[in-house]
Amino acid sequence: MMLALGLSIVFALAVGIWAARSKRAESVILPLLDIFQSIPILGFFPFVIGAIYGALPNAIGANLAVIILIFTSMSWNIAFGVYEAVRAIPQDYADLLNVSQASAWQRIKSLYIPASMSRIAYNTQISWAVGLFFLVASEIIAVGSATVPVYYGIGVAVASFAGTSGAVDYANYVLLVAGIIVAVVVWRFLFLREFALWSEKYKMMEEPREVHQDPIMRFYSWVNHRSISKLFLLAHDSGVTRFTSAIARFRRGLQLAVAIFVLSFLLLAAGGLAASGHLNVGSLPTLSVVASTEASALYALAVSFVRVWYVVAICVAVGVPLGIVVSLNFKLYDLATPIFEVISSIPAPILLPAIILIPVLGHAPEAVAAVVITLSIFWYIVFNVMAGVRTLPADMKDLPKVFSARRVSAWRNVYLPSALTGLVTGTITAVGGAWNALIIAEYFQLDPTQPALSQVPVGIGKMITIATNQGNYLTLTLAVVSMTVLIVTFNLTVWRRVYHHATKRYSYNR
Amino acid sequence: MSASGQGGAPPHSGVPVNGATISVEHVGLDYRKEKEKLPVLVDVSFETHKNEFVMITGPSGCGKSTLLRIMGGLIKPTSGIVKLRDQLITKPRDEIGMVFQNFVLLPWRTSFENVMFGLASRSDLSPEEKKQRALKALDDAGLKGFESVYPGELSGGMKQRVGVARALALEPHVLLMDEPFSSLDDLTAERLRQEIYGLLINPSSPIQTVIMVSHNVEEIIELADKAIVLSARPGRVVGELKVDLPRPRNKKSEEFFNWMDKVYVLLS
Repeated sequence: MMLALGLSIVFALAVGIWAARSKRAESVILPLLDIFQSIPILGFFPFVIGAIYGALPNAIGANLAVIILIFTSMSWNIAFGVYEAVRAIPQDYADLLNVSQASAWQRIKSLYIPASMSRIAYNTQISWAVGLFFLVASEIIAVGSATVPVYYGIGVAVASFAGTSGAVDYANYVLLVAGIIVAVVVWRFLFLREFALWSEKYKMMEEPREVHQDPIMRFYSWVNHRSISKLFLLAHDSGVTRFTSAIARFRRGLQLAVAIFVLSFLLLAAGGLAASGHLNVGSLPTLSVVASTEASALYALAVSFVRVWYVVAICVAVGVPLGIVVSLNFKLYDLATPIFEVISSIPAPILLPAIILIPVLGHAPEAVAAVVITLSIFWYIVFNVMAGVRTLPADMKDLPKVFSARRVSAWRNVYLPSALTGLVTGTITAVGGAWNALIIAEYFQLDPTQPALSQVPVGIGKMITIATNQGNYLTLTLAVVSMTVLIVTFNLTVWRRVYHHATKRYSYNR
Repeated sequence: MSASGQGGAPPHSGVPVNGATISVEHVGLDYRKEKEKLPVLVDVSFETHKNEFVMITGPSGCGKSTLLRIMGGLIKPTSGIVKLRDQLITKPRDEIGMVFQNFVLLPWRTSFENVMFGLASRSDLSPEEKKQRALKALDDAGLKGFESVYPGELSGGMKQRVGVARALALEPHVLLMDEPFSSLDDLTAERLRQEIYGLLINPSSPIQTVIMVSHNVEEIIELADKAIVLSARPGRVVGELKVDLPRPRNKKSEEFFNWMDKVYVLLS
C-alpha cells in the first residue's frame, strides 16, 4: 500500500504541477485525468490481472497487479488536488519567485510542493481509504476467480469467513474485523494525521480566530509529548527544509524511474497477454454473438444505472443535512469527526460477510447491494459537504444570527447553498464509487462450486464478476467497455455542466 | 427579537434613557486556547448618545472588531455588560444593525433577496410591507434599479450599499459598522461616508447612533463626534476624544491635523 501511495504522490506532483503551469498540458491532462477518474477501476482489474499474471505467473505478479490497481485508484485524486492547489497560489507568490529569479527546482521546492502539501495530505486520507477498498475488493475478486492465487491479504482472510457457519469462525471473523479497525485507527494517528498536521504548516491563508482544539488533537499532543513520533517532530521543527529539498533531490531520479517502470509495464502487459494465449486472433466471435451479448450488457447496465442513482439519492438525502449540522456546531464536530473518520476508514468489502449474515438482509440481495454501496460512498458526500460548509467565512455563518433568521430561512438561504459545491464534488465522487462498488455488491461468491451467497437478479456488476470467474473474455470486454463509455460520457456531458453552474453561482468568493 | 422562530416583535419606542443609546460597562473578553487564558479586551467602558457618530480605533489585533460584535450581541463577554438604553444586550436585535467589512452578502441571491433575508424574521410585517421596506432601503442606499442584480455582478461599493440596505431595512436605532469602507477605493468610500453621516443627522431616519471601527485616522477625524482609542492587545480604553470640530470639516485645516495627531499619540 505504501508503495502505491508513494508512487501516487510522485506521479500526482509531476502531473499536477505540469498541468497547472502549462496551458497546453492543461488542456490535455485535465480531460485525461477526468476520464481516468471515471473509469470503473474494478472493471479493468480482470484485464490488469490477466496481463500481469500472464507475464509473471506467480505471487509477485498477483501482488504487483494489486499494487498497480491501488495506484490507479489513488493517484488521480491526488493529482487533481495538486493541480487545484497550484492553480490557487496567488499570483503574488509567483511574482516573488520571478523577481528573485528562482530556478525551476527552487520554484518547485519552495512553492509548489509546500503549496500542494496540505491538499496532498488531505487527499491522501481519502485515497488511502479508497486504496484499502480496492485492495480488499481485488483480493476478494482474485480469490473468487480461482485462477489467480493471492495468498496474503486482508481480502483473502475475509473471503474465507463468508459462508462459514461455525461459532468459532464467527468469533474469528469478529476478531479480524476488530483487528482491522484498530489497525486502521492506529495507522491514522501515526501516519495520516501526522502527515496532515505537518502539512498544515503550509496553508496559504490564516484566519485570525480562536484556535479550535478538537479532542483528537489534544490526545495527539499528549501522545506527542511522550515522544512516540520523534521522527516527525524533527520534521516539524528543523528538518522541514531538509525534508522538502530531499524530495526535490529525489524527484528527478524518481521521475526517470517511473518512466522506465511505465514503459516496461506496458511491454510486459502486451507480452503477457500474448503469451497466455488470450490474444488469439484466430478465434474471434461472430457478430450475432457479439450483438446479443452487448444487448444483455446494455440491459444490465440500465438496471444498474437505476440502482446507482437511487442509492446515491438516499445518501444525499441523509448525508447533506448530517454534514451541515455537524459542521455548524463546534462541539458536535469535535465529537463526530473522529467517529466518522474511523467508520469511513473501514473498507466496505470487509463487512460483506457480516451483512450477508444479517437475517433480514440475507434474503434480500437488492438490500445487500444497496447497503454495500451506501457503506462505500456515504462518506464521500458527508465529508465533501462538511468541507464546503467549513470554508464559509465566520461572518457568513453568523448571518442568520445577526438577522434573527428562522431555521427554515437560514437553511434555505445560507446553509444549503453553501454546501452545494461540496455536494456536487461529493456526488460526482460518490457516483464513481458506486459504479465500482457494484462489482462487489451485486454478486458475491467465494466457492466456485457453490451458488453465490448474494446476487441481484440483474446487474452489470454481476455480469462482470461472473464473466471474470468464468474467464469469459467476450462478455467481460463488452460489459466493461459499455460501462466505461456510459460513465465517461455522463461525466463529460452532465457533470461538467452541473459543476460549472454550481461553482459559478454558488461558490463563495468576495 | 428571538432567533428561535418566534418571529420579531415591534421595536423599542426609541427614547434613550439617561440620554445614552449604547452603554458598555466594564466589558472584558478572554479567549481560551489549550489551557491558557488570553485576554483580548479588558475593562472597556464608554457610552454613546443620540446623534453621535462614534469611531472605535486601535492598533491591529486590539480587539475592536470583537468589541463591535459584543455590542451587536454576537459574542458574550467574559465580564461586564452592554446595554441598549435600559435593556441588556445578550443577542442580536433589530434595533442594532450590522454592516461588515467584507460585505457578507449571499452570492446566490439578488440584492433584493439579500435585503429580504434580513427582513425574514419580522413576522409582524406582511409580505407586501416587507417588500416595500426592502425596496425603500435599496433606494435609500442608492441602489435603485439594481434590485435584481447578483452580488457577483456588483462593484465593491455597490456590494457594501447592499449591506447597508440590508441593515437599514430593519430600521435600526444603532448602526454598527466594522471597517466598512476599507475594501473600497477612496472616491467610493468618501461618497459612502457622507451618505452614512447623512443618515445619522436626517430626522426622518431611525438611526440615532453610528458606531464604526476604523484604522483610518483621517476617516476618524472626518466623521467622529467621539473617538474611542484602544491599546494593543489586550485592548483597554486609552483615550476617549470628543472631537468638537465644526462641520463640514475641512480636512486640510490645522485643527484637523491637530486632532489627527492626538489620535496618533494615543495609538502609539
